[in-house]
Amino acid sequence: MTRVLLRLVLRWETLLIVAIVGGGIWSATLSEFFFTRINLLDLATPYVFIGLLAFGLTFVVIAGEIDISVTSILAVSVVSFAQLLDHGVNVWLATAAGLGVAAALGLVNGLLVGVLNLPSLAVTLGTLAAFQGLAFVILSGEGVAEFPQRYLSIGGGYSKQELPHALVLLVAAAFVLGLLLHATRFGRYLFAIGSNREAAHLSGVPASRVRVTVFVISGLMAGIAGIAYVGFFGSARADAAQGSLLDVVTAVVLGGVNIFGGAGTMVGVFLALILVAVLRNGMQLANVGGDTQNIVIGVLLLAAIAAGNLGRAIQDGSISLARLGIRRRGVIRSDAKEAAIAMSVESQTPKGR
Amino acid sequence: MRRKRLGILSLISLVAVVVLSVGLSAGTSSAGTERAESGKRIFFLPKLIGVNVFTENGKSAKEAARALGETVTYNGPTEAVAAKQVPFIDSAARQGYNAIVISANDPNAVAPALKRAQQRGLKVISYDGDVRKDARTIFVSPPKASDIGAFQVEWLGAQIRYRGEIAILSATPTAANQNTWIKFMKQTLKKRKYRNMKLVKTAYGNDNPTDSAKETQALLRAYPNLKGIIAPTTVGISAAAQVLDQSRRCRRVALTGLGLPNQMRRYVKKGCARRFGLWNERDFGYLATYVASLVLDGKLTGKLGESFRAGRLGTRRVVTSDGNSPVVVLGKPLVFTRANIDKYNF
Repeated sequence: MTRVLLRLVLRWETLLIVAIVGGGIWSATLSEFFFTRINLLDLATPYVFIGLLAFGLTFVVIAGEIDISVTSILAVSVVSFAQLLDHGVNVWLATAAGLGVAAALGLVNGLLVGVLNLPSLAVTLGTLAAFQGLAFVILSGEGVAEFPQRYLSIGGGYSKQELPHALVLLVAAAFVLGLLLHATRFGRYLFAIGSNREAAHLSGVPASRVRVTVFVISGLMAGIAGIAYVGFFGSARADAAQGSLLDVVTAVVLGGVNIFGGAGTMVGVFLALILVAVLRNGMQLANVGGDTQNIVIGVLLLAAIAAGNLGRAIQDGSISLARLGIRRRGVIRSDAKEAAIAMSVESQTPKGR
Repeated sequence: MRRKRLGILSLISLVAVVVLSVGLSAGTSSAGTERAESGKRIFFLPKLIGVNVFTENGKSAKEAARALGETVTYNGPTEAVAAKQVPFIDSAARQGYNAIVISANDPNAVAPALKRAQQRGLKVISYDGDVRKDARTIFVSPPKASDIGAFQVEWLGAQIRYRGEIAILSATPTAANQNTWIKFMKQTLKKRKYRNMKLVKTAYGNDNPTDSAKETQALLRAYPNLKGIIAPTTVGISAAAQVLDQSRRCRRVALTGLGLPNQMRRYVKKGCARRFGLWNERDFGYLATYVASLVLDGKLTGKLGESFRAGRLGTRRVVTSDGNSPVVVLGKPLVFTRANIDKYNF
């Protein structure tokens, strides 16, 4: 019983909650303006589009791939939407078209990776640039800034003047996508492919189809993130979301998703986003410099990766615990990939101790 | 078992402590607040921090704040991205600042946040990069486009005795500000004084050092009698200066345009680009802060023709640009020569 309790306490998500509370207390000491209802409700709003992108990326990373073209897909999606709207198309039709474009671009990534078996980092590096260019082709110049109020309200409106609609959208997306990831056969396939693609394929998982699908999900989420983006910022330009890729990847990795695939939770990514939002908001309210803010977030990310890797290696028993001064636990290595991680951790531990 | 996990936990908490202490100790490395006993609080938000030009704007904003007895906080994102300016706007409003002075990365994307701030009673002044007209009270603008165009023709003419073939090295063919300046240059060249200066080509270096250098070399090959180049872009002028310097043509081909003193200093001292210009970044933040302070005091409302005293800059006047929106112009462009360049650091 205590063991079960301990395991629950030491889950990554629990640590994130502790960190959020700690970060909140820290922020409250930094600034008297932090602990007000309006601030607490609103502090995540500027990061909602980052969160929606991160949710989509989570599927890709758990399947053992990466998609760094998400910010460019967002840009193409919003400029397509804006261009259609500008030409008199009904706003909801244009919205649907924007989502369709986003999913189609995701499909391009998916086919290149899943069917042609090209490495996803190379593919999405290429489409990152290509889609960005495409966005400028579709809408060059100053961009569009006139949108119907009802549309803007999705990403930038407030209920009762204080509850941001974007936050509701974020929580709802986390819930629905969490179900898809953790409670469906499709979700189980993802974890299987991410852990060991060969084994998953041999045991009858339709690996290619699933890998194509994750990129479509990622693209579609970039489209939805685009709605939140335009709603909150009231602007659709070809450089929308540029410079935000790092924040998206940060949320995914800090959320405890194994960057090598096969492990991660939607709750973790959601909590990581909240953690980053709390820290940024606190530092902002205390007028901490933008450069120092980046250092804090960067160190946090490094710590998360190091702690995650160390934790996995220790649980696996594959790291020499005697060296860390901790007693060894007799578990046999189960997986070649885990062993590789363990080796990389081992090579970082000081020798000769 | 328990000890292993305690190991992980202690590691994480150790890192957390390090992170937090870094944040606390380095909190005011490049951002900072100029405190005053009383007075109003002004949040100064550049396009990005860590760039000399904006650092100069920030310093001069604090200089103005000292003169006025106000408080200025200078802070912003580390990338020139509108989405990253928005959290600074919201947090300034929540902290109860009285005004925001902003150079926007996207005139529209910051507008909803600025309007939220206005609803909470803050005054918004834009400078350098304007925002949507309904989201600010007054825009403090760089020198007039007609002045920027005409001055550059004069700076080049003075170097080549107003005679000979000249070329323009611009950024991209679609850059609106570049095209406006070039239009005014062409108008100026029609004046009697400049009738012997002949514009032979307008080249585009795409605001990229390599492309700009290639275009400069192409100009030198195609027009052996070329007497001068005008590069109204900071990237273009420094690339052109480098090419002229390396090919030892600084004496034969004159160079002018818009450049940063820090980038151009060594060329000016070698005799390349003996006369070029920009606007005074030191005055820019100063004037914008003065405007913000006067608007807060109700002494400036943005009516056409309204005049006011802006400290060491003397009397200024509110003019209107297109669309009848109130604008205060920084002044005439500033010229840099070997004699004065060491006075400027941006």
